[in-house]
Amino acid sequence: MRNLLEFFIKYNYWFLFILLEVISFGLLFRFNSYQGSVYFTSANWLVGTVYEISDGVTSYFHLKSVNEDLMERNIYLEQQVSALREAFIKTTRDTTWVDEIQRSVLKDFTILKADVINNSINRANNYITLNRGEKDGIRSEMGVINGNGVVGIVYLTASHHSIVIPVLNSKSSISCKVKNSDYFGYLKWDGEDSRYAYLMDLPRHSVCEKGDTIVTSGFTSIFPSGIMVGTVEDITDSHDGLSYLLKVKLSTDFGKLNDVRVIARKDMAEQKELEQKIRK
Amino acid sequence: MAIVFFKRLGWFWLLVFIQVLVLNHVHLMGYAMPFLYVYLILVLNINVSRNILLLWGFFLGLAVDIFSNTPGMNAAATTFLAFMRPSILRLFTPRDCAEDMEPGIRSMGFWLFFRYVLVEVALHHTVLLTIESFSFFNLGFLFLEILSSVLLTTFCVMAIEGIRKK
Repeated sequence: MRNLLEFFIKYNYWFLFILLEVISFGLLFRFNSYQGSVYFTSANWLVGTVYEISDGVTSYFHLKSVNEDLMERNIYLEQQVSALREAFIKTTRDTTWVDEIQRSVLKDFTILKADVINNSINRANNYITLNRGEKDGIRSEMGVINGNGVVGIVYLTASHHSIVIPVLNSKSSISCKVKNSDYFGYLKWDGEDSRYAYLMDLPRHSVCEKGDTIVTSGFTSIFPSGIMVGTVEDITDSHDGLSYLLKVKLSTDFGKLNDVRVIARKDMAEQKELEQKIRK
Repeated sequence: MAIVFFKRLGWFWLLVFIQVLVLNHVHLMGYAMPFLYVYLILVLNINVSRNILLLWGFFLGLAVDIFSNTPGMNAAATTFLAFMRPSILRLFTPRDCAEDMEPGIRSMGFWLFFRYVLVEVALHHTVLLTIESFSFFNLGFLFLEILSSVLLTTFCVMAIEGIRKK
């Protein structure tokens, strides 16, 4: 008995080691499913504040190139709007029609502004931290975009910060389609290059070419349809040969994210409730 | 005793902040990532008890985890490093060392310290990056990532050690 006791006292560090490893792996595995784990992430108040201070300095570094990107996008959109307006006026002979459409598209959505305060692109599971949270109206499963395209989906929210799962995360899966056709697939990332993602499960009879634009499909309650995702870089067959696998060059540059917009759809809760009813 | 503790705590936060604000954004050639924060565990005095060493390792890893949204990953790897350290350090200690030796270039000499760091860092990175790779398993990519990160971290540790000893 005494020998046993002495043995335990001599090797007590083994117990501490096992205890600490169990805690670590507990945190690791529960992070996926446990809402309370938000306190162990950069959305907690203290860590969020540190990142806000650091972002106050570093956000100036990319300002010039971000501005240029936005200018380009702006000019492109303005040209598109004026071309569309002309086409509409020609066909309908009604000048108020265009404004009407614009209002009806954005009617169902509220757009909230947020700043990225922490971001990574080099891990297998990247996360983005935003400086807005529940108090500002952000809830989990809202879509996040920036001026160039889709960024990701809100995952966890604290009162003043929130965590987003960007496209660059193994858990991310966004429903997308090839523009001007209704064939859709879902967008996954392979964990390597932060500039490319893959569109999976696109049917083999769909028609697409290199350079085609990929946009969100709008089938889920998260993103409205038609938000830019990227362009097709390469077309290959999927591993099982049943569908196409498109290599997509992402239009969002995740390396220099700064301002983003969170899209809140007004009837989101209703659609989710309906979908859950069906599953039961 | 208290002075030593606060000095270590100062190093703790300094290394955590360097890691999360600067080094977490470094990603050379798509593979190499420096994890300099393990430096704290590498240079704790040789006579620190195993339990204290484990606690330092766990909380250091946890602090880095909380900042980089990887709960448990760095904590698990760094606790393992702290657990293995006494056995590994024994292989590299000079015979006539002081009882409270602090591992470093000054006490061990450059090459001995370099080999010690290389082994420890390789151990830590293998655990850390293997845990991370559960999301996408690609053996070749993992191997390259471990190899390049070990070299980069070792370089960073030797650099900071060199600056400190001047």
